[in-house]
Amino acid sequence: MHFMPVTMDVNLNDLPENHYLVVHPLNDVPEEKIDTSNLGPMAMTPSVKISLLSLRAYLVLMMGLVLYHVLDLAGLFGHHG
Amino acid sequence: MQTKVLKISTADIVVEAPTVRGLMVRSKWMHRLLTFLMVLGPGLIVMVADNDAGAVSTYVQAGAQYGTRLLWILLLLWPTTYFIQEMVIRLGIATGKGHAAMIYQRFGKWWGVFSLVDLELVNFLTLVTEFAAITLAVEHLGITPYLGVPIAAVGLIIMVVTGSYLRWERTVVLLCVLDLAWLGIAFKLRPGVGELVHNTLVPGIPHGGLTGDLMFLVIAIVGTTIAPWQLFFQQSCIADKKLRFSDINWARLDTFLGACVTITVAGCMMVAGAYAMTHGVHFEDPAQMANAMRSMTGEGIRVGILLLMINAAVLGTTAISLSSAWAYGEVRGWPHSLQLPFKEAKGFYFTYVGCVALAAGLVLIPRAPLQLIILGVQVLAGIMLPSAIIFLQLLLNDKELLGEQYVNKTWNNWVNWTIIIVLFALSLILAAQVVAPNLFPSS
Repeated sequence: MHFMPVTMDVNLNDLPENHYLVVHPLNDVPEEKIDTSNLGPMAMTPSVKISLLSLRAYLVLMMGLVLYHVLDLAGLFGHHG
Repeated sequence: MQTKVLKISTADIVVEAPTVRGLMVRSKWMHRLLTFLMVLGPGLIVMVADNDAGAVSTYVQAGAQYGTRLLWILLLLWPTTYFIQEMVIRLGIATGKGHAAMIYQRFGKWWGVFSLVDLELVNFLTLVTEFAAITLAVEHLGITPYLGVPIAAVGLIIMVVTGSYLRWERTVVLLCVLDLAWLGIAFKLRPGVGELVHNTLVPGIPHGGLTGDLMFLVIAIVGTTIAPWQLFFQQSCIADKKLRFSDINWARLDTFLGACVTITVAGCMMVAGAYAMTHGVHFEDPAQMANAMRSMTGEGIRVGILLLMINAAVLGTTAISLSSAWAYGEVRGWPHSLQLPFKEAKGFYFTYVGCVALAAGLVLIPRAPLQLIILGVQVLAGIMLPSAIIFLQLLLNDKELLGEQYVNKTWNNWVNWTIIIVLFALSLILAAQVVAPNLFPSS
């Protein structure tokens, strides 16, 4: 049937007119991505610094609360028998 | 010195084009459809696998406690989960690298180690809850967990170690499609359509007001719908599948479709829990609920719910274990692709196998502290989620990394910072409840 797609090896220069080639990403020619190899750490702009400092403060607070809860459950604060 | 100019006609230049394997079609719509089907996978899987064993438990419990009155939260979470994963798509396609690798590279070793350790720990504890759910479900099906759990673990390992990304993906997509059976269950157990539509579209606080139990459940719903492992999983999956820049809109559609499925299925789980509530069924877990409802709903619904619990746990396990293996492989610089045979990516596959085997083994230990583990998962995930989202947001505003084309637009940032602030607030409320249990009145 003429509309049934057929898997084949196709040279991209030889693609017939009015035809489209559907190529799975894993079968396609590797694509050049953004080159990150020369990038070091992110520049510490004020917004990045504030974000990371807020995150550190949040994590310290949360770990402190978890520690409090664990010690409380263990009865160190005399609330539980 | 004389300079000679050599003129070459463009007709003399022969550009060698590569030969690729593909499907030749004549119509543009067929080209688009087939391209979408080829790209489909990472978005659908990350969303549907998020309805894992913990999610089943949470949504069913929400339905059992509050009926369908919390469906509106799912409607709010639907675009939220899509927006977060859409950022992951851009980052993954643009860089071709995983999330863990990007955090290490752009935020340094300290934050890289923190993210990796937190991810691996939360993921492992979550895997234990998945196998705990498999244990419960197989027991109610009359199968000993000492047989059911190892069979599930072996199946999960075989699914991955075949050295073919496509074989793994097609198997998991089939499991995702099976999850749609929840629609059938919800249809059978449905309350009135008017009630469903009203409770989905109109936000409201259930009778009893804002209690500690309600707050805890709301936070659990949010935490189970947006999980940290999803960021790592989808980006690594996109990198492993080698999605192209031209695939970005299809990847968005894939993720949107996944978001629709996962939220709809979550609603169906709530409907099942609501049915239990209206019929006076009490239970401690979804497997008990399925059993207790048998006299009202029949054997088919009972077996269906138990099998879907196992399906949810299997989906969650493969996705979460892979997110751990990919992240660890990226950071260690190991080969880490499902396309590689076992012997070429031993570290990557052993990490996956180790996660599955250890979690499965732990639940088979008599008197293992499973309740403590389940609680630990909730706490650690609540701590980790805001930090994972912050890194994602900062990376998506990194023009040096992504260039103008792929960074967030202004409206992206407004939406995302709103999501981040709400997530932080919910985490702090959860923490405050721990310190001051009387902060909210009890039910």
